[in-house]
Amino acid sequence: MVYLRSEEHLGRWLDANGWEPGATLGAIKLNDLSREWWGTRLDARWRPRAAAESQAIIDRLGLAGEFWSYG
Amino acid sequence: MDAFDLDVRRHVYFSVVANGRPPTTAEVAAAFAIDEGVAESAYRRLHDAHALVLFPGTTDVWMANPFCFAPTVHRVIAGGRTWTGTCAWDALGIPAALGCDGRIESACACCGEPVALEVRAGELTQGSDLLAHILVPARDWWADIGFT
Repeated sequence: MVYLRSEEHLGRWLDANGWEPGATLGAIKLNDLSREWWGTRLDARWRPRAAAESQAIIDRLGLAGEFWSYG
Repeated sequence: MDAFDLDVRRHVYFSVVANGRPPTTAEVAAAFAIDEGVAESAYRRLHDAHALVLFPGTTDVWMANPFCFAPTVHRVIAGGRTWTGTCAWDALGIPAALGCDGRIESACACCGEPVALEVRAGELTQGSDLLAHILVPARDWWADIGFT
């Protein structure tokens, strides 16, 4: 995942590399996702997260659609 | 993941926070009073379980996500150290994991111009106008985690 300054820069970056678009998030949403996703990583009682738990985080943040289907 | 592997994984993460780098398998072996081969096997199982990422063909830790131990464009200042984030997502994950404020200094993937984000008390206080883009769908994230 990369940072981009604007939609225009995103489009240029995709075109320059010949890539199909994936998913775009605003930085505030990404920070929310990061907090949820990584916030427990240093907990002493950390356990591997089941796919359903990861999907629940994604869903809770409103990241919908096939692209965000964790499998 | 059994209790021993969880203990090794915990030791890795606590060592990262304490020392700014992951322990070698020799250091894990010394800490747990085990043979280094046992530590290497634990590292490989943790890699296979996506609890760590090893450099290909080695037992050296590449990522203890969100912390990265190879150079990237994502520099993270948090908790009294400067860290490296694997990607835009992991970079913001470092202050989240440490539970502290942080500053991310990175670059626009298109033009290379510097970009900066600040996190204070969990909220983004600088860089909120930036975008993040992920090319790889969720189901394929671990197919090539270095690219994801």
